[in-house]
Amino acid sequence: MLISAFLFAMFAGIAIGCSLGVIFHRNPVHCALMLVGVLLSVSGLFILLNASFLAALQVLVYAGAIMVLFLFVLMLLNLKGENPLLTRGAAKGFGILFAIVVFVELLWTVLSPQVEAGSMGAVPTVPRGFGSPAAIGRVLYTVWLYPFEITSILLLIAVIGAVVLAKRKFG
Amino acid sequence: MTPAPIIPLVYYQVLAAIIFTIGVVGVLVRRSALIIFMSIELMLNAVNLSFVAFSRQHGSMDGHIFVFFVMAVAAAEVAVGLAILVAIFRNRDTANVDDVRLLRG
Repeated sequence: MLISAFLFAMFAGIAIGCSLGVIFHRNPVHCALMLVGVLLSVSGLFILLNASFLAALQVLVYAGAIMVLFLFVLMLLNLKGENPLLTRGAAKGFGILFAIVVFVELLWTVLSPQVEAGSMGAVPTVPRGFGSPAAIGRVLYTVWLYPFEITSILLLIAVIGAVVLAKRKFG
Repeated sequence: MTPAPIIPLVYYQVLAAIIFTIGVVGVLVRRSALIIFMSIELMLNAVNLSFVAFSRQHGSMDGHIFVFFVMAVAAAEVAVGLAILVAIFRNRDTANVDDVRLLRG
């Protein structure tokens, strides 16, 4: 109990702190590194939730592939630090107001009696091997086989689209 | 062998709500398109966390499968989005969303 509470508090603190860093840091490279911190701590939270395969996938796909893509583009574009960091005047105030509304709404939903009855109570035990690669594969290749195959087509289209967009001469 | 989470899962949901809101603030308030992409990744991660927590709650693997698909779609989205960003930067020499507001200008 104590160890998992401590680990949850640590990962949650790192995740919140780093995500604040992502949106409020001036230098885009630092923002990208903060995002890596968020992704790794979310991966730690996945392990606490018995989702070991997804934790590994999070590190491989997000912290590995997607962040490398971000850093490549950062180096390619050579962005200068934004001078006014945030959007001007009305858009900023409206944005923060809207975000507060979204947050209140999310908390309202999460803490509502129907949801809370499920998630506030004792956490049920799960069978051994829950969230392991074998268990996920068993579900993925039987029930979700067609969506899985369609995903491969989606990724192929994304690759072709990225190449076409990046190669085309503009103007 | 993973430690059983005895933390009530509502804490995970609240944490997901906080991270999602930070992502919303980032999308609405920052001017650099690259940071807006990173904020979208924050929101996707918050939703993934929520999915995994609910999946743990109900003892069903379907949430894990959904997170798997979300990751695949996020990878595709980032590849295409960053390609568009590079194209805009080549064309206009800026990645600032406040400067790119005409469809054809």
